[in-house]
Amino acid sequence: MKFDVILIGGGLSSLVCGIRLQKAGRRCLMVSAGQNALHFSSGAFGLLGSLPDGTAVQYPLEAIPSLPAGHPYAKIGVGKIAEYAAMAPGFFESCGVHLVAAAAAADPVLRSVRNGFRFTATGTMKPAWLAMSEVAFFPTEEALRDSDGVPVESALIVNFAGFLDFNARFIAEGLEKNGIRCRLETVRIDDVERLRKNPSEMRSVNIARVMTREQNWKGFAYQVKELMKGEDMVVLPEVFGLGGELIPQWLSEMIPAKVTYVGTMPPSVCGIRTQMRLKEAFESAGGTFLLGDEVLDPEVEDGRVLCVRTSNLGSMRLVADSYVLASGNLFGNGLTAAPGEFREPVFGLDVDYPQDRSDWYDPDFFAKQNYIGVGVKTDGAFHPYIAGRVVENLYVAGSEVGGCNSLAEGSGAGVAIMTAFKVADGILGRQEPANA
Amino acid sequence: MRAEFDVIIIGGGITGAGTARDCALRGLRVLLVERHDIATGATGRNHGLLHSGARYAVTDRESAAECIKENMILKNIARHCVDDTSGLFITLPEDDLDYQAVFVKSCLAAGIKAEVIDPKEAIRMEPSVNPSLIGAVKVPDGSVDPFRLCASNVLDAKLHGAKVLVYSEVTEFIKDGDTVRGVKVLDHRTGEVSEYYAPVTVNAGGIWGHRLAGMAGVNVGMFPAKGSLLIFAHRVNNVVINRCRKPANADILVPGDTVCIIGTTSTRVPYEECDNMAATPAEVDLLLTEGAKLAPGLAHTRILRAYAGVRPLVSADNDPSGRNISRGIVLLDHEERDGVKGFITITGGKLMTYRLMAQMASDAVCRKLRINADCITARTPLPGSRPGGLEKVARKIWEVPTTVQKAVVGRVGTRAATLSPEDDYAGSLVCECEEVPVSEVDAAIERMDVHNLVDLRRRTRVGMGTCQGELCACRAAGRMAQASGCTAKARADLKSFINERWKGMYPVGWGDTLRESAYTQWVYSEVLGLNGKI
Repeated sequence: MKFDVILIGGGLSSLVCGIRLQKAGRRCLMVSAGQNALHFSSGAFGLLGSLPDGTAVQYPLEAIPSLPAGHPYAKIGVGKIAEYAAMAPGFFESCGVHLVAAAAAADPVLRSVRNGFRFTATGTMKPAWLAMSEVAFFPTEEALRDSDGVPVESALIVNFAGFLDFNARFIAEGLEKNGIRCRLETVRIDDVERLRKNPSEMRSVNIARVMTREQNWKGFAYQVKELMKGEDMVVLPEVFGLGGELIPQWLSEMIPAKVTYVGTMPPSVCGIRTQMRLKEAFESAGGTFLLGDEVLDPEVEDGRVLCVRTSNLGSMRLVADSYVLASGNLFGNGLTAAPGEFREPVFGLDVDYPQDRSDWYDPDFFAKQNYIGVGVKTDGAFHPYIAGRVVENLYVAGSEVGGCNSLAEGSGAGVAIMTAFKVADGILGRQEPANA
Repeated sequence: MRAEFDVIIIGGGITGAGTARDCALRGLRVLLVERHDIATGATGRNHGLLHSGARYAVTDRESAAECIKENMILKNIARHCVDDTSGLFITLPEDDLDYQAVFVKSCLAAGIKAEVIDPKEAIRMEPSVNPSLIGAVKVPDGSVDPFRLCASNVLDAKLHGAKVLVYSEVTEFIKDGDTVRGVKVLDHRTGEVSEYYAPVTVNAGGIWGHRLAGMAGVNVGMFPAKGSLLIFAHRVNNVVINRCRKPANADILVPGDTVCIIGTTSTRVPYEECDNMAATPAEVDLLLTEGAKLAPGLAHTRILRAYAGVRPLVSADNDPSGRNISRGIVLLDHEERDGVKGFITITGGKLMTYRLMAQMASDAVCRKLRINADCITARTPLPGSRPGGLEKVARKIWEVPTTVQKAVVGRVGTRAATLSPEDDYAGSLVCECEEVPVSEVDAAIERMDVHNLVDLRRRTRVGMGTCQGELCACRAAGRMAQASGCTAKARADLKSFINERWKGMYPVGWGDTLRESAYTQWVYSEVLGLNGKI
């Protein structure tokens, strides 16, 4: 089978790249092994939360010039990052993914993106660039305000009885630190009670599925209204948006307060929805999506990929002009680690990693872990190398790219999106990014 | 504050717990003092092997005979802690097959049923065993959950009136001339210092007993022998596999609950290092190489974690590894030995022989108190192994699904009846890997001296399974916050629990272990924002 582009991986980076290419008229095949990082998304996209030395970043674009030369953002350049960043919300909107940004001035350009703050399930604030529409996202760390800009004074946190993956006490403590009085309540919904019959069914996505039924979300909203004692904010577990943004919107209309949603333990409901929307956008633009398959046995000759095969299609040669590898980092199996080395398992690409295993880890789990920053070596156009030789028609995008520790920097989604745009432009032969 | 007891026991490992129980069953007023949680030292850092004694049959006949006797007692009194798997001693082509005959003869002489079987039969009995074996002997080895065993002893001591202080450290002996009258105890949680008095104080501090003895003015020469072990994410073998040779490194593979454990190494370490034991990369490599010789499947089985403990051996001759030191029990009456009255030390020995050690120590306590009271621990089942069919008892938790019932009954035995089934939500799972429901977690928090998530793990196995606490830790922290009402503490506790799990994972940080860590890292640091500002 012949395609223009074969993309390996079905996560954020691959989808963004595939949609751009498909919309630009390229015939794309995407091969996805299954779940990806969107399934445990925080509900927000980070561009750059802090510098490699740990300094907090308020305006990500302003900070990009100070990144080391090997950083993916440095390879793309701040000018293009600024253009891509400006284009991103519209791009996602066109895919049916509505994202919210912290307000920023249009001028100067380097201040056109400002970090907002996502309120987390353990009651902390994490910087973020864009947030999925229903998640608790605030313009500053300090002031939690309602939609009219009035500071919130009191909050009602409502959970489903017996749902252990949403820890209302942690959330209350975090809000109380911000001067917000909190009250905790639980509700019971018959369909959710039925889920409990099997203890391992009481998980976010299963509840979310049940809550797409009108009688359930309406019943939930009525119970919340009954429980309210004049609070000006209601905090709910993020399990209402599986079908779309409409149910959270309707809940907001029915409940007389600012309604916000805080993520639960994975899986992430709004992350799954985003993945589904992006996959639909790719397919409706004409792309071919192979789910539950994996790429193997590539043929590489003279620094060019000639073809790949997949597990399900067996010996069939899948041929393309360009190939994009975006199969993730360790968790996605885009990289594997053995006692002495890291490997990229599909092509055997050159990987950048500390030679001494003891440098891979910090004994403090919450400190910067070097193994998280391990990735494939690439040139300025994100072409990888095999044994020091560049592979000209292969590109690498997303968390598989080396040169940054995206967990420590808070740049996971940003790197996925920016490298995807850059690689798509490279394949399309564009010097300057065109409009989406 | 001044409090009087008949006996003060220092050390909440299995020896101290067993002694506290034995003394309490004999009607003594008992105080048990532990500076951390129970089972934090060597008790919680071993194979969990229910020795048949065969391992010591050739080199240490006395220990071997003690082991087999205690083996049979524990199978009766601690049914809910024991998995009667049976064991194999295999001879590989590189081993000397002549040793097998010596081994079998020594086993039989020590009273251990040792039966030579055909290697093909051994493979049928344990399909994971190295198929190139040239000899096999079947022995009555098994596995025992040391955390559960220790907690059951503590629980029974408390049921018989003992007072148990955890996170409480003896800072000073109260002496009157050459007599120990009691101890000063610092409560690490409150910072308070209290005095406790008793005519007899028992040093059951394991390797730390050396320091305690020094504080009391006597010297107990110990030999701190570090042993490292690896836990694999699957129960690769159902039968304990040993090498039929003189005891050496990494020659025992023990199945335990959902996992299996390979060990150990043996190296002398300085006393100062005993508080902070971790497996080194060289030890990990050695355990992997040698382990794969017992069961080749280990070479491609995910490693859950590496850990290390210190054997409280009593120093004898000049033996650099400690392999040749007797595992025998050492009871020291410091009045006879050093002229210090009211103070005894019980040390040496093994997890396997804890009950006998406790009996010997309690006998000595009674002699000093001039009390005539028989030891009944050899025939009195622990809580959880009381008479009555588990089926009947388990009916109380019928509400929860079968696999969870089985898991709960497997862990708490007949105590399952005391878990609260009336709560609608008690069946919700906190830990999916080990199938630990809310009822069991809440009961442990309420009744079993649980002060943090690591304590909870030792009582319930929450966080010990395949995901190493990835999902259950956060849920369990929620239950802890609810019980204590202190969310800030629960959050700090959650962070330290995750770090404690990481400590055992990064020494084996590759393959699926590192893959799982990467996921945990993203979930806790980014998604849940546990390292974020509050």
